[in-house]
Amino acid sequence: MIQARNVSKSYARFTALRGVSFDVPSGQVVGLLGPNGAGKTTTIRIVTGFFPPTGGNVSVCGFDTVEQSIHARRSIGYLPEAAPLYPEMSVEGYLDYRGRLMQMDRAARLRGAGRCMDRCHLRDVAGKRIGQLSKGYKQRVGLAAAMLHNPQVLVLDEPVSGLDPAQIRETRKLMRELASDHTVLVSSHILPEVELTCDRVIIMARGRVRADGTPSELVGRMSSEAPYLIEVRKRTGVSGAQPAVVFGGVPGVAAVRRETIPEEGEGGANQFWERWAVVPQPRAGDLRETLARAAGESALVVRELHREGATLEQLFLRLIEEDDGGATAAAPSGEGPSR
Amino acid sequence: MTGTITVMRREYASYFRTAAGWVVMALFLVLAGAVFRYFVLQPGQPASMRPFFAMTWGVLLFLAPAISMKTFSEELRTGTIEPLLTAPVSETGVVVGKYLAAVLYLCTMLAPTLVYAAVLSGLSAPDYGAMVAGYLGVLLLGMLYLAAGVLASAATQSQPLAFLGPLFGFLALEVLRSVAVSRFPRWAADVVLAVAPGLRIQDFAKGVIDTRHVVFFLAGTAWFLAATTLLVQARRWR
Repeated sequence: MIQARNVSKSYARFTALRGVSFDVPSGQVVGLLGPNGAGKTTTIRIVTGFFPPTGGNVSVCGFDTVEQSIHARRSIGYLPEAAPLYPEMSVEGYLDYRGRLMQMDRAARLRGAGRCMDRCHLRDVAGKRIGQLSKGYKQRVGLAAAMLHNPQVLVLDEPVSGLDPAQIRETRKLMRELASDHTVLVSSHILPEVELTCDRVIIMARGRVRADGTPSELVGRMSSEAPYLIEVRKRTGVSGAQPAVVFGGVPGVAAVRRETIPEEGEGGANQFWERWAVVPQPRAGDLRETLARAAGESALVVRELHREGATLEQLFLRLIEEDDGGATAAAPSGEGPSR
Repeated sequence: MTGTITVMRREYASYFRTAAGWVVMALFLVLAGAVFRYFVLQPGQPASMRPFFAMTWGVLLFLAPAISMKTFSEELRTGTIEPLLTAPVSETGVVVGKYLAAVLYLCTMLAPTLVYAAVLSGLSAPDYGAMVAGYLGVLLLGMLYLAAGVLASAATQSQPLAFLGPLFGFLALEVLRSVAVSRFPRWAADVVLAVAPGLRIQDFAKGVIDTRHVVFFLAGTAWFLAATTLLVQARRWR
């Protein structure tokens, strides 16, 4: 439904997108996730035809967003960030105006406005001026306007930004409902939001796609590299086996490093124990049994051996950190905050 | 075309949804009424609306940018330009729609002054040709000023700047015109006299409709609107 191929966007003094490619198949809710300045809004503005890419191309429902912009725009319902609206217009007046812009006839406009006001719970404020509404209501008006012409593709930029928890829950529910008959591309910098509402996640950082997959795929990818944490009794004097050597010798282990145990043991109970993080090689499989056996054979006293469950948040933070590190080393001057 | 009309309808209605739209109109009509009462409706005066037209041409210099300043600046400032330009409407459609709304608002503002013409015809026998020429002059000058104002509005998010830009631009042109012949080299004076609208409008006051002047105003308007469309398109590509 949406195809982005090698999309780049450069401004006078910085590059906002560098070779972004992704597909959004029909009927999916796909989340664009990334920190502020990752290039999410720029990507969305290119997808919606607000501005063209500097390089590459985007097509929506088979229409190129530059060459066949009007056709592409007709297939999209777009809620920009912060839902910009005309404060002097009434809710129904605004929906009617958007319907006219979308070239809907009178009957379709009335039908569409009724359906969207019901879905977004706007009936009780239909005659009110938009400027008098709360932020949550304004967001819903923007959403209603986006889905008014029943577009095949809905593009929502930070749809829950600034909403209270109850409104967030409602918007989330609505987005899931919309997925049944729309393709939805939603951007957010709030990770749980994306994790809860999206079938697929595209993680962006510094204008690049850093990861793309379902939340479980991404977590699974991360899990295969999650370290094993082993707490062993400290050696007395120089006797006994060295844990770094014992665990480092286990096949499938990439690295072993010592970590600090958080100060939570009662009566200094932790002073006799040390924690080791054993990092497995990619696709090494489950090493818990092998590690436990190696510890037993070397007479290491183990009080805990577990593997930390990976989360999307860890993956997200790791990718961002990696990117920041890489950027510090390699980023050229002139790299600025992206839009 | 549907998009252009939709944009025009919303834009035109927006003038009447804000206090500013009513205040501007009220101030103009009070001023016009005062001019009519004290300069036109005087015993012994010829039945001519020339004082009213002269006042209107001067006031238009301030009035037109006040009408046009919000057309794009407001949308750029609040971000509503984004849903507008991602709707299936061309940039030309948006520019023309907004411009026509501003012209329509100007016409709405001028419409009540037709009462003055009616009063004058009731009391005397005015020169209707001069009246038609006067109104045509007001309309053409207003259209030119509004087109320049829409261009200024598309260039900045700041409404004060969008107001002051065309105001000082045309004011400077009129000042230059008044000194051009005596102070400038011949060719420079010719250029200033050719592009300053002030001189051309005086012919309309005399009741003369010169097609050269009509073409000048229409071509100037078209030029400003084309420049606005290019500017809106260029914003996308920046």
